[in-house]
Amino acid sequence: MNALKWTLLIVTAALLVYMAVDRWREPQQLQRVSQSLDRLETALQDLSRSQKQLAEAMARQPSLDQGVRAAVVTTKTTETTATMLTTDSAVDPKIQDGNPKLGVNFLMPYDRSHYHAERQGGTFKIFEDTPRRLNPLIDSSAITNRVQALTTDSLCDRPATHPEQWSQSLAISVIISDDYKTYTFNLRRGVKWQRPVLAQQKEYAWLVKEVELTAADFKFAVDLIMDPAVDCPSLRSYYEDIDKAEVIDEYTLRVLWKKKTYNSLSASLALTPLPRHIYGRNRDGSVVPAEKLGVNFNQHWFDEEHAVAGVGAYILEEYAPDKVLRLRRNPDYWGVSYHFDAIEWNMEVKKDDAQLIAFKNGRVHAHRLMPNYYKSEILDHHEPRFAALDPQNPKAGRTGELAWERVKRLQYSYLGWNLRRPPFNDKRVRQAMSHALPKERIIKDVFFGLGVPVLSDVAPGTQYANADLKPYAFDLERAKVLLAEAGWKDSDGDGILDRLINGTKVDFRFVMKYMANVSTYENMMLIYKDELRKIGVEMNPKPFEWKELMRSFEDRDFAAMMSGWQTDWDIDYFQLWHSSQAEVQGGSNHGGFVNARVDELAVKLRETFDTSARIVIAKELQAIIHEEQPYTFFTSAEGILIWQNHGKPAKEQYLDGVDESLDRLHPLTRTEDRRMFWHFRP
Amino acid sequence: MLAYVIRRLLLMIPTFIGILIINFAVMRLQGPTLVEQMQASSGKGSEGGGGDRKAQGAAKDVENYIDRFRRAGLDLPAVINLRGFADQDDFANRLQGALANGIYKDKPSKRNELEKDLWLAGPQGVAPLVAVLADDRLSTIHAPATVALSYCAYITIDRLTLEKMPGEQLQRIQGRNEVLRNNRILYQNNRDSGALVNDAQAAEKRARLLALFAEPQVQREYAERAGNALGAVLFHTGFTDFMSKLFTGTLYSESRKEYVFTVIADRWHVTFWLNTLSIIIAWAISIPLGIHSARRKDTLEDQVTTTGLFVAWSMPAMFFGTLLLYHFCTDSSGAKAWFPSSGLSSDGAVWLPTGQYLLDLLWHAFLPLVVLSYASFTSLSRYMRANLLEQLDADYVRTARAKGCSDDHVVYSHATRNSLVTMITLGSGLLADLFSGALIVELIFSIPGLGWLMLDAAIQQDGPLLMGSTVISVSLLLVGILIADLLYGVADPRLRSRYG
Repeated sequence: MNALKWTLLIVTAALLVYMAVDRWREPQQLQRVSQSLDRLETALQDLSRSQKQLAEAMARQPSLDQGVRAAVVTTKTTETTATMLTTDSAVDPKIQDGNPKLGVNFLMPYDRSHYHAERQGGTFKIFEDTPRRLNPLIDSSAITNRVQALTTDSLCDRPATHPEQWSQSLAISVIISDDYKTYTFNLRRGVKWQRPVLAQQKEYAWLVKEVELTAADFKFAVDLIMDPAVDCPSLRSYYEDIDKAEVIDEYTLRVLWKKKTYNSLSASLALTPLPRHIYGRNRDGSVVPAEKLGVNFNQHWFDEEHAVAGVGAYILEEYAPDKVLRLRRNPDYWGVSYHFDAIEWNMEVKKDDAQLIAFKNGRVHAHRLMPNYYKSEILDHHEPRFAALDPQNPKAGRTGELAWERVKRLQYSYLGWNLRRPPFNDKRVRQAMSHALPKERIIKDVFFGLGVPVLSDVAPGTQYANADLKPYAFDLERAKVLLAEAGWKDSDGDGILDRLINGTKVDFRFVMKYMANVSTYENMMLIYKDELRKIGVEMNPKPFEWKELMRSFEDRDFAAMMSGWQTDWDIDYFQLWHSSQAEVQGGSNHGGFVNARVDELAVKLRETFDTSARIVIAKELQAIIHEEQPYTFFTSAEGILIWQNHGKPAKEQYLDGVDESLDRLHPLTRTEDRRMFWHFRP
Repeated sequence: MLAYVIRRLLLMIPTFIGILIINFAVMRLQGPTLVEQMQASSGKGSEGGGGDRKAQGAAKDVENYIDRFRRAGLDLPAVINLRGFADQDDFANRLQGALANGIYKDKPSKRNELEKDLWLAGPQGVAPLVAVLADDRLSTIHAPATVALSYCAYITIDRLTLEKMPGEQLQRIQGRNEVLRNNRILYQNNRDSGALVNDAQAAEKRARLLALFAEPQVQREYAERAGNALGAVLFHTGFTDFMSKLFTGTLYSESRKEYVFTVIADRWHVTFWLNTLSIIIAWAISIPLGIHSARRKDTLEDQVTTTGLFVAWSMPAMFFGTLLLYHFCTDSSGAKAWFPSSGLSSDGAVWLPTGQYLLDLLWHAFLPLVVLSYASFTSLSRYMRANLLEQLDADYVRTARAKGCSDDHVVYSHATRNSLVTMITLGSGLLADLFSGALIVELIFSIPGLGWLMLDAAIQQDGPLLMGSTVISVSLLLVGILIADLLYGVADPRLRSRYG
């Protein structure tokens, strides 16, 4: 009897759980159904559009019975092709080289060459961080910008093959006038705003309409960035000198700047539009009054729904924070992008080792490998499916079942000296320090070879880099000579150099501050310390937490420190090297570098737009800084990119686009791994 | 019984408040300062491994950062607000201290903080700062005073106030914010020379600001916003602000730009189900195991189980979990892994029929559940064993045996029942352990739950989110304790009789 009672109880409980789970899953399934219906609908639209195009093309073919009509059609098409030719095909490579010029359209033509219709298909899966907010103004983090780059385009683009130049994108031409203070853009016609997935819901039925991209959408974005109520202080600092944006007509936008500054170029050309028809409205579709726009934008209902509307290649289909973000192709897209039908970001797996395991299990197609795993998995062969390293063949990593490749980054690390006080106020001492740093050995032994030694703050191999700089070779004898010249001698025979400063004998001892909890830095410091000991200098490496490190930079409370900077395609020497930035609060010239020629050139560089003139200035700047050695430039770190080559990820697809794109792209565009994946091998 | 329940419920309230106070204190002790927050936008310590920064100018729109601080309640003093009593001299002294001729000549970061703390004084700082500005003897600090005044008098408008605010009032506030912004006297706080005023319009700007604050209506408005100095001491503080936001559900997470409870609502159920299931499993396995061991006391079998359980118990969950992950969840070149390495359901699980869906769920949750519950097997089953042995020696058991009851009947109906009473108290403590254990399991098996959220909030220094999730998990814990207490009452007739 008892047993029967218990069995009955358990069976009922199980049934109840079953029913509850069933009910709970219903709305999710319904949502999926409506999503796939939506996808079907767009596919049908796509189909009918191509059918229409086909019919039009057929109609254009001259035939006997339709002679008259066909003639009319051909005249019309020749007209349109003629206008297209003036915009698209008549390229003067001397003028349209992507380098800024006054009064002419210098943009390189839009590049469609990598797209092949037959390669289209598949869902590309990758691990990413969770974007906090999908609004690029409110959240300026790299990850939100990545969503933005997939869903929206900017006025002009940095082509992946020539990232230092500019090409057409949403703007087909830009004319700069008024001594580089006025930018007039001519916009591409017929670009449509995406209809957000949200519009399926009854509540948001007012979103179901076709809206064309116009100049007003760009003005809307500029106005919001300039509105002090909008919470985007770091973004706004780039638009500090902007005067205003004007709408000349639907397809003509003018951006005016208060003064001539090189920053205005990228800030104007990389401008992205914001959907005025959404962010200018309340949840119920009513218009937000102008004075409330800024405050309302900070916590806009559209962002709270985690929705995105852009004009780009992909439409945001689903976003569950910390779980998944799914993008699908935009059938209405005006340009070309990747070949994938969908892109899925897995944001669930966050720990490094769990990510690596999931990659090996085929959950994602590509991944970025941490340097310590590069050592264990590839160099030490813990995972036999990875191709082995072959020093003779730089492409050897691509041959395994799981492929890998080294990628460069726009970043460098350095040892910074405090130039305000001895011992590092003497150029010869700083040069000696550079001679005593065994860069190559440290990169090989500590960083497993993942790094490129750098001599200046410009990435090697880019147009601004000065290739004539002679590296300070690892040479302890030379270092000793330089120190002796600067007056540092071991007078008391204790093995440590000393010198009289203001009448007192001072030993050459200093503290090197660097960031804590980075094991590679610790090891590197030990090696450097050993080498310095050989020339009679005692260095005490001391790790600091990030906050404390920042605080000692701000207080100039350091003799030497190690840190790193992220760099950009556009160079600027003002923030780091101008003497005014040494004393002002929040300045980044922590070491107190003062050089009249550098001051002059840094200001000049900010006002020079002509690329060849900028290169001349940049090279002179690098030469001076190289001679003075306020930093001992160390290395630009490299990453390891891994992908499924012949493995078995979802649906038996593996990536071929990587191989193809790696050889095509500029080496440094590989910093953004999203650009590397183009299509699957069928 | 009712009296007992009420008593337990009432006891929960001070416990809850005590926990809130301790949490709040810890959070405030490590919260970011305004300077740090402004610096954080130009780089992050944890990114890139080595702390790369991006070179860019210092943020000029301090108002946005002040907004963030006000939304998080970080602009107010933690527990006691004495700002209302600060007068002109206090503000003047602090401004002078913040300038180069003060004690912090060599520590610009200290000076920064001294000056920028003033910026957060809010409406309570307006009247003294206006007095400083009006005083001709203090002309050296007029420039920083206008800056501080413009931030103190700046009024934050967020969406909640925006909805209630009439249009004309909004325009008046926005207009005034604009006037304040435009009438700061520009100066450079140089390391050695102090405040260098480089503003040709300094005199006009000062006059304009003084004129603005001379208007009776403006004065009245700021006095109203500042409130009564005495009343503010205890009732206008970070703690009261936090409590009111907590109980109105308007805690706002700055790092996620979302209301805290919306973020938590997405995640808590995963943690809740995992924990509930693992408790059930822990009990369902440990109790029979304990009984089994007790009945075979001191046999080889008993000794082996005890040793095995203690070995398991001494293995940290972090280690054990990672071990499982590496050995059971990783594909090798030939073989497929036994269990999935992440998540709680497969791709496309939405389409599976419910039965298969549950199986899929079980397949995913199996290892996480093992890691969550294995440590409690040891303590629970050993307690059960000890308790049962104690009962088996009792007189009534001997009587029952003498009566001729079967061995099973004696053990299950008499002894086990009595020994379970003491087990219940253990159950409530188990809940607390589970919530700390959940973090590790969520980390290793990549399950987006509450533990993850709390860790992330701590890394991001997101106070409100951390507090919100702590409150939720503490509430769950208190509920667990309450249930245990009630069960205790049900199981123990002595308690019932005591409370009638």
